[in-house]
Amino acid sequence: MAGRRSCVILGGGVAAYGAAEALRAAGFDGPVTLVSAEPVVPYDRTTLSKAYLQGQKTVEEILFKPAAYYQELGIELRLGQRASAVDFDRRELLLEPGERLPFDTLLITTGAEPVRLRLPGFNLPGVRYLRSLADAQALREDLSRAERVLVVGCGFIGAEVAASARTLGKQVTVVDPLPVPLAGPLGEEVGAILAEVHRRHGVELRLGQKVAELRGHRRAEEAVLERGERIACDLVVVGVGVRPAVALFQSSGLPLENGILVDEHCATDIPGVYAAGDVANWWHPGIGRRLRVEHFDNAAQQGAAAARAIAGDPRPYTPVPYFWSDQYDLNLQYAGYPGPWDQVVLRGDSAAPSVTAFYLRQGVVEAVVTVNRPRELRPGRRLVEARARVDPAVLADPSTDLRALAQSVRQAE
Amino acid sequence: MTAPKGYVAVKRYDEIPEGGIVPFRVDDDERILVKLEGEIYALSGICTHEYAELAEGELEDHVIYCPLHGSGFDLKTGKVTSLPATEPLPVYDIQIVDGVVYVSREPRQG
Repeated sequence: MAGRRSCVILGGGVAAYGAAEALRAAGFDGPVTLVSAEPVVPYDRTTLSKAYLQGQKTVEEILFKPAAYYQELGIELRLGQRASAVDFDRRELLLEPGERLPFDTLLITTGAEPVRLRLPGFNLPGVRYLRSLADAQALREDLSRAERVLVVGCGFIGAEVAASARTLGKQVTVVDPLPVPLAGPLGEEVGAILAEVHRRHGVELRLGQKVAELRGHRRAEEAVLERGERIACDLVVVGVGVRPAVALFQSSGLPLENGILVDEHCATDIPGVYAAGDVANWWHPGIGRRLRVEHFDNAAQQGAAAARAIAGDPRPYTPVPYFWSDQYDLNLQYAGYPGPWDQVVLRGDSAAPSVTAFYLRQGVVEAVVTVNRPRELRPGRRLVEARARVDPAVLADPSTDLRALAQSVRQAE
Repeated sequence: MTAPKGYVAVKRYDEIPEGGIVPFRVDDDERILVKLEGEIYALSGICTHEYAELAEGELEDHVIYCPLHGSGFDLKTGKVTSLPATEPLPVYDIQIVDGVVYVSREPRQG
């Protein structure tokens, strides 16, 4: 081999961090450069809507590792540098304002971007989105002065921001078009439990409703719902989902479809070009379909999986996707394959709440969610991993020992 | 029966169930003992990510998982096997004398 191959990691989130660490751990000894548009080393984005927003953590405390760590690994950091173009024939990235950065292998971890609402008034000051540390710093600042917060969208970001704002003593109203929060990923049963938790904490929920417009003179001061209700506010936070950050690759020749298409080793169709994290739509051979997952754990693990492939040790990436959400003192965890289910089995006490939900499709456990019941997460995950068929009555029965059940399913394989 | 120097007695080996996680304290320090395939491990009892008691966690393939956010730590070394934790879990040395498990006061170095 003529010289050592170089690797450029494009993106500065947890996928990039996981990849940087795993490249060296897997023995990759060529030059590695991490290029991030954000002016800060990779940090834990999951804290932005929770501990960081509530002022319980500083920037230093949410960094995965300090800059010196990357130096120790021999990884060059290019922070606050945006790529403006990519040329796969010449194998180089164009960085603003005009530098060319060559690569032998490229790992794309550009993540996702918040969907912007294009409704009247949403361009007013006082309307915030939350994705980056800079977004969170601005939101934290605004929140310190706000009294009435309107949250548009009750997905994970909306629900967590609402909980943080209530925890800080703000008046909070949440508007979402669905009948319960998070009905898409979690279903109506668990969504109803979460709605009740937010109500109990004093959040005003406007469910099954949409904002028609925002009004205000210099800032957003009032929202008008489609049904005509007017809600006074001095801060609006929009969390209506994200889309994969692929603008750079639109006409680059890289196959795109709901993100960047990669195989089970995180490799694209272009030799030496890989993608991982929120931006990657990958083939999961374990379940025989494509997945694109917008969560921390997947990004971390997929970044590492891509790095191993780049280092010459490819192994199929076949995880059971996992995520958590903390709202107030509620802990929710999910392990499973997103997608349609035909039955939800609840176990425990919905009112407390202390509940585990199993999502079944044609009798197979596809996903498990624990709400304030963390000990049942990993046994539930083992059932998912085993593609287990379990009698719903057994799952719902509080006297069933899930660990023993998971063990027996594993042994039966 | 006296403890080896720098060690404290925690529990009789026979009283720890196989696959069990037993919380204990040394002064104000929360720790856990784990028995897996007959081997005893001693680690810090609090996740290095956010406050969570690992005694409530789960064991899988010689990894202990935090109950709240799924951080994984290697039982033998304390090394992080899965995020969100990035700092290793302190591990402690074990001595078993006359059927009693003793744990070092100070964490193992490096």
